Amino acid sequence: MLRVDALGKRFGGLAAVRDLSFEVAEGEIFAIIGPNGAGKTTTLNMISGLLEPTSGRIRLGARDITHLSSAERCHAGLGRAFQVVQPFPEMTVEENVMVGALYGTPGTREREARQRAEDALERCGLAPLRSVAAEELTLLQEKRLEIARALATGPVVLLLDEVMAGLRPAEAREAVSLVRDVRDRGVTVVFIEHVMPVVRDLADRVLVMDYGRPLITGSYREVTSDPQVIRAYLGAEDEGADQDPGAEA
Amino acid sequence: MRRALPDLAWTLLLAVLVALAPAAMKALFHQASVSYLSLASNAMSLAVLALSWDLLARTGQLSLAHAAFYGAGAYSAAILAKLTGVPLFLALPIGGLVAALLALGLGSVTLRLRGIYFAIATLAFSEVLKAVVQEIPTGVAGGAAGLNVPPLFRPHFVPGAMQRWEIAFLRNADYFYVYGGLLVLAILVSTIAQRSRLKAAFTAVRTNEAVAAVMGVRPARAKLLAFVLSSALVGTLGALEAERLGSVIPDGTFAISTTVFALVTPIFGGLYTTLGPILGAGVLSAVEETLRRTFAEGYLIGYGIVLVASILFMPRGLVGLANRLARRRGPPPPGEDEAVRTASDPGAAESGEAP
Amino acid sequence: MELTLLAQGLVSGVLAAGLYALVSVGLALAIGVIGVINFAHGEFFMVGAFLAYQLFVSLGFDPLLSLVFVAPALFVIGALIYLSTIRYVLQAPELNQMLLTFGLSIILQNLALLIWGGDPRSISGVPYRSVGLQVAGVSIGLVPLGSFVISLVLVVGLYALLARSRLGRAMRAVAQNRVGASLVGLEVDRIYLVAFALSALLAGIGGVMIAVIQSPTPTVGFAFTLKAFAIVVLAGLGNIRGILWASLAVAVSESLVATLVPNGDSLRNAVFFAIIFVVLIVRARRTA
Repeated sequence: MLRVDALGKRFGGLAAVRDLSFEVAEGEIFAIIGPNGAGKTTTLNMISGLLEPTSGRIRLGARDITHLSSAERCHAGLGRAFQVVQPFPEMTVEENVMVGALYGTPGTREREARQRAEDALERCGLAPLRSVAAEELTLLQEKRLEIARALATGPVVLLLDEVMAGLRPAEAREAVSLVRDVRDRGVTVVFIEHVMPVVRDLADRVLVMDYGRPLITGSYREVTSDPQVIRAYLGAEDEGADQDPGAEA
Repeated sequence: MRRALPDLAWTLLLAVLVALAPAAMKALFHQASVSYLSLASNAMSLAVLALSWDLLARTGQLSLAHAAFYGAGAYSAAILAKLTGVPLFLALPIGGLVAALLALGLGSVTLRLRGIYFAIATLAFSEVLKAVVQEIPTGVAGGAAGLNVPPLFRPHFVPGAMQRWEIAFLRNADYFYVYGGLLVLAILVSTIAQRSRLKAAFTAVRTNEAVAAVMGVRPARAKLLAFVLSSALVGTLGALEAERLGSVIPDGTFAISTTVFALVTPIFGGLYTTLGPILGAGVLSAVEETLRRTFAEGYLIGYGIVLVASILFMPRGLVGLANRLARRRGPPPPGEDEAVRTASDPGAAESGEAP
Repeated sequence: MELTLLAQGLVSGVLAAGLYALVSVGLALAIGVIGVINFAHGEFFMVGAFLAYQLFVSLGFDPLLSLVFVAPALFVIGALIYLSTIRYVLQAPELNQMLLTFGLSIILQNLALLIWGGDPRSISGVPYRSVGLQVAGVSIGLVPLGSFVISLVLVVGLYALLARSRLGRAMRAVAQNRVGASLVGLEVDRIYLVAFALSALLAGIGGVMIAVIQSPTPTVGFAFTLKAFAIVVLAGLGNIRGILWASLAVAVSESLVATLVPNGDSLRNAVFFAIIFVVLIVRARRTA
């Protein structure tokens, strides 16, 4: 469904991402993990069109989207929720989601958009909050809005960037079931995460990155017992703990 | 679009009022109605200026080139009148078209500019255009001295005994109708942009272009559309004013004060709304006129004080003030119910309750 | 003789650049340190000019002497304006700041019109006004030269202030991170006050000089405001050193066109803004 070939990004002399290739199958939940600075968000930014890769290709389905604009990628079926939530603060929750619903797929009529927005609001539990201004939401609500808005664009592949950050265990569990629900309805999910229990629970496959390079791809158990990965995190991987603070910032 | 119906109803009502106003004024004020009509036309002109600037501002493009498009429309009318036999009425939409094309050009090259950079680039464009127009051969555009423009309406007689002021009245009333028509058009455009999917696109682009794009909005398209619509309106206004004032001259027609009024009025009245620019135009016109009649000299100082005070005490403009007052006495805004309170209450969240 | 003309154009441009830089640097201070879009900046310039004029006409003060009075006067005026109005719009959207400062500009302009009328006023009758040097066929007026030197000294002085002094460092800290700066104990509001008053002072000094060079009217302020904004934006927000180069570029181009092109004087503005426009557009494309 989503395929990345030899993707690279240089900022002057610094190679933030090097020679990255991976493939995500349709309906998979694919996790990208790695120490801070490994290039995960840069990768996601390149996939969603916010950053231009210096090398490599990105394919969505049969389509090469490497040189398409962000809006065109969205129309092709790529959805994105941001790490630092980016709601449109002055708009209400409903209006925020409507942006995605109206413009996520070209040629959407107003009624269709309303339905899709309604659906997204329901699935993310935001229906009661529809008339609240986005700037008045709590963090968890904002994160749900991020996902709802992305869902309203009708994506085939959904990119999630550290959605769990800042959530309490109960909230995180909620978010996990939401992501599973999204996948069950036919959306392929690619997510970046630091909270390991979530990765363990959700991911079908995991890609570990370090210093901009792919280290290993496999199941959660496979990658977490791999010595390279352990070394990258500089310490044994403990269930429920974040990576070692000694890791590269 | 269905949401636009109530606003369209109001607009229709306004149109009817505009149609009836001159007769009503004549009956009420007799000779004074001549100048009142003129003042009303000025206020409507300001409203169109304000509405068009606000429209563009909704996409985050803060233009200092408004005078350029106004001037483009005005000069189109002037040159058309001088070089061709095009009927004066047609000069209005042609002026709008010329301005729109110009906006398409300027908008395209400034797409990547933001905030003050965009503003200064548009300002620069305006100044350069003024100079360019001045350098065009005098036979075409009149150079620094400008051109005379035949008026759209001349004083005319209606059979029957008429006093002199009644002749002037008729002429002013004619202009009033045209200004009214243009205002109604501007309101329609502004309303449709506020009530349709365009509002979502414009607001999203204004708030955060990159995120808007990721949601599927095409920022370039939204921005250019706003620019073209906005400039078409001002261009038409410029053509109309040229035909009413009777002349165009680079310094006056492209004066930066036009731009200043265009942006001051909607901020004063309330940005990103349709009512705001209209209210702002009405109030500011009234304020200016009252000040002028009270203090012959230095009345603009009072005007400046009004502006300064307005920002300090009504940062969201007249509309914002009205909203604030309404909220203070009305019911709490919708959406604040169990769900919100539960979500922010740690105890409830811990038990895993889904709001 | 083309060469002399060229040289004349260059020299005049360079000399004029000093004044542009002085006014622009003051604005850059307001925008950069305080974060306020001040469309009334040019009015400080205008007030300086007319204060100097009045001092000359009423008390016979030589402009150089009146600098001593005008500078602190403008500092105080700037401080008062900051305390009464600017302070309240610091967190407001840019458009609100623009409206406020437009209002201030209108007030100041019309006050001046009321007091001094709309006719151009200049400090003529000063002995050294028409004195000039002749170097290789190029005439260098003493007053433009003097104002260039004073402007340069002030701009460089400001730069040094920002780079080396405690106040300067405090200003830079506040410019970069308001919250952080206050957390380490900097009295942000006081710094803003000083910065704003300083920007008014710099503009005011420029005004004194223009009163001798040209014949300003109360409306001269706004024209300079626009040009100052253009130069600040051209140099790039936050780039104070760039202001010198930007001022030089536009002033010299203006001057060259005025000198070499027939009827070029009326094109000054056009050249100024054409350069701004082209640079902004080209630069935007490059960073894409």
